[in-house]
Amino acid sequence: MVILKLLQSIVKALHSEGTPGQVAAGMALGSILGLTPLLSLHNLVVAALILMLNVSVPGASLGWALAIPLGFALDPMFDALGRQLLLGTPALVPLWTALANLPVVPLSNFNNTVLLGSLVSALVLFAPIYFLCRWGVRRYRETIGERVRNSALYRAISASKLYGIYRLFRPET
Amino acid sequence: MNIAIFRWKAIVPLLLFLALLVGAWLLFADRLGRLALERGGTAALGAKVEVRSFHFSLGGGSVTLRGLVAASPFDSMQNLLEADELTADLDLLPLLEKKVAIDRLAANGLRFGTARTTSGFVPTSGPGASAQIMANVKSWAAQPALQVPILQLATGKLSVDSLDPRRLQTVQAAESLAARADSSRRAWSAAFDSLDAKTTADSAVAFAQRLRGARPTDLALLRDARRMLDRVKQTRDRLTALERGVKAGGTTLDQGLTSLQAARRRDYDFAKSLIRLPPIDATSIAWVLFGPEAVRKFQRALYYTELGRTYMPPGLLPRAHDGPRRARRPGTTVEFPRAHRPPGFLLRDAELSFFLGDDSAGPRRYAGRLQGLTSAPALYGRPTTLEVRAPTVTADGMFDHVHATSRDVMGATVRGIALPAIALPGLPLRVTPGRGDVSLGFALYGDSLRGRWTVTAPAATWQRDSGAAGGLAADVLWRVVSEIDNLDLTAELGGTLSHPELHVRSNLDQAVSDRLRSMIGAEVDAAESRLRVEVDRFADQQVAPLKAQVAQLTAEANARLQQGRQALDAAQQQVEQQLRRLTGGIRLP
Repeated sequence: MVILKLLQSIVKALHSEGTPGQVAAGMALGSILGLTPLLSLHNLVVAALILMLNVSVPGASLGWALAIPLGFALDPMFDALGRQLLLGTPALVPLWTALANLPVVPLSNFNNTVLLGSLVSALVLFAPIYFLCRWGVRRYRETIGERVRNSALYRAISASKLYGIYRLFRPET
Repeated sequence: MNIAIFRWKAIVPLLLFLALLVGAWLLFADRLGRLALERGGTAALGAKVEVRSFHFSLGGGSVTLRGLVAASPFDSMQNLLEADELTADLDLLPLLEKKVAIDRLAANGLRFGTARTTSGFVPTSGPGASAQIMANVKSWAAQPALQVPILQLATGKLSVDSLDPRRLQTVQAAESLAARADSSRRAWSAAFDSLDAKTTADSAVAFAQRLRGARPTDLALLRDARRMLDRVKQTRDRLTALERGVKAGGTTLDQGLTSLQAARRRDYDFAKSLIRLPPIDATSIAWVLFGPEAVRKFQRALYYTELGRTYMPPGLLPRAHDGPRRARRPGTTVEFPRAHRPPGFLLRDAELSFFLGDDSAGPRRYAGRLQGLTSAPALYGRPTTLEVRAPTVTADGMFDHVHATSRDVMGATVRGIALPAIALPGLPLRVTPGRGDVSLGFALYGDSLRGRWTVTAPAATWQRDSGAAGGLAADVLWRVVSEIDNLDLTAELGGTLSHPELHVRSNLDQAVSDRLRSMIGAEVDAAESRLRVEVDRFADQQVAPLKAQVAQLTAEANARLQQGRQALDAAQQQVEQQLRRLTGGIRLP
């Protein structure tokens, strides 16, 4: 079931009406949701951005789905990075101290090693993910996209209920 | 082609999503708050914390907890405290900084030490602060200085260490005296040899023979006769001096022999000390009987003090602690306190209303006040204080973590309440102090410890478990304590965390000691007699030959003195007789 939904996400993202840039932006934003712990304040902002900005929601779903296992796998690295930033870099302590005593900011749990490490990693990876995905979607559509669109599998997926929901948030071109 | 940046039609779903969030907050905030409080409290205390209901009123700026139960980290079936209701007035603005500032807290219906129906222990999952503190405190209590020899009193057996003859003073003194006797023998022998009285006497006798045929006019011979006489007299004088030396030496050796008796008496005492009777020592009775309970009291006080030091650390350095439990790795959360900003947690003022003395007269209500409980004392700038004042209860506490060296002091005295029973370790006996006074004081300055636990119970009763045997000591104790109707106990703790010292005394000490001593007195006497015989055997092996050696030595010396004097006297007499014959009794110049 999970694999089927992932396939749906992939197919819908790649064949959505959105431009490759919109799909890539969605995937880059979705990767932030997947790479960082989900129940965090910044992810509320990311989710709002995905809805409000004219990016591909299936792309965001795909980016999220693909980034979740990556996030779990890279947690030790995020932990180490966050620890280095929070505890191992004295020059940054005044910044963290200031942020920790500002309104609202502490609610983001930025002072957690895994969260900070993963968020910093996701932000650093945002641009590479965006450009890589944009190139990949473009190449896909230029090569095998049309054949897939005419396949029985694509028609089956397009007819599903999820596709109806998707149409509500399809990118405006 | 222009692509719009914003997807305006998503505003409605987004607003719906936000409305859903608000709805979820309204529905689940209390439940989430309760879960967070239970989870956080359990992690902090190291035992189950449960809350029956939690209500957060954002508009009213208050939190109300009902049915708070915090289990004891030391006793799985006992609660540390229960509270009927806690109402806290929150300062709302600090919540935006994820800080909790409680202006006023009213705690009603606090009860301490109530029984549980299920275990309050929690499995330790990872190196949490409370688990670490518990391990440290258990390690502290396991130090040799705080270990009580439970079984020594329980078995009541007396042990005797082996007697090493080399450690006996009699043997050592006898060996020393024998060496001195040998030395005297050699010295006297050399003196006799150098004096050579017999040769002098023989020369004088030979000279007297020469004088028999001499003429009175042979003046040279007469002068030689005078010289011979002088030589004989000088030899006798030296013999007299040697005699004095022999006498003095003999006296010294005799004194040495006499001193062996005193050494033997000391050896008897030493042998007596080999009989091991630690519980008979009156000062150790209370230590054996009440030491473990005293250690438990101070161990608990130390645990809560260390807990306070962990969660209320001094200074403003970043503080790391475990992150929240979640599917992802929890990581480490680092707090960054800042000067002149509110601390992460602050309870300014709490009014406490609690019950004590759940006995036939029913529980009585007391009131107290807790002020300045905070996670960052350096920011608050004042120590946390606890004060309870009531006719029969006095309690004070001060937890000063404002400065680099923490100072924690707490003390409580409760008068006229039903005191809980105390089980005697390793014995099927327990004492129920009944109504009495109890006080507990504990102070930790840096790592210096001070503690005092006293129990005064004028109407104590003793119970014996019918099923358990307990042995001789239990019988003896039971016979003693069943006749004692009061308990007066004091335990004092001192030293440092790494080198604690505990002293315990009670009114049972002398009574139990006397009874135990009389019970095993016969056994002690027999052991002492056996040891005396053994001491005598070892000592006589050395002393008897030594006595003979000294007697023989002095006899030989006296005999040689006697022989020398007789020979010299005879020789002098012969020479003088010949001189008188030659001179006709006239003294020549």
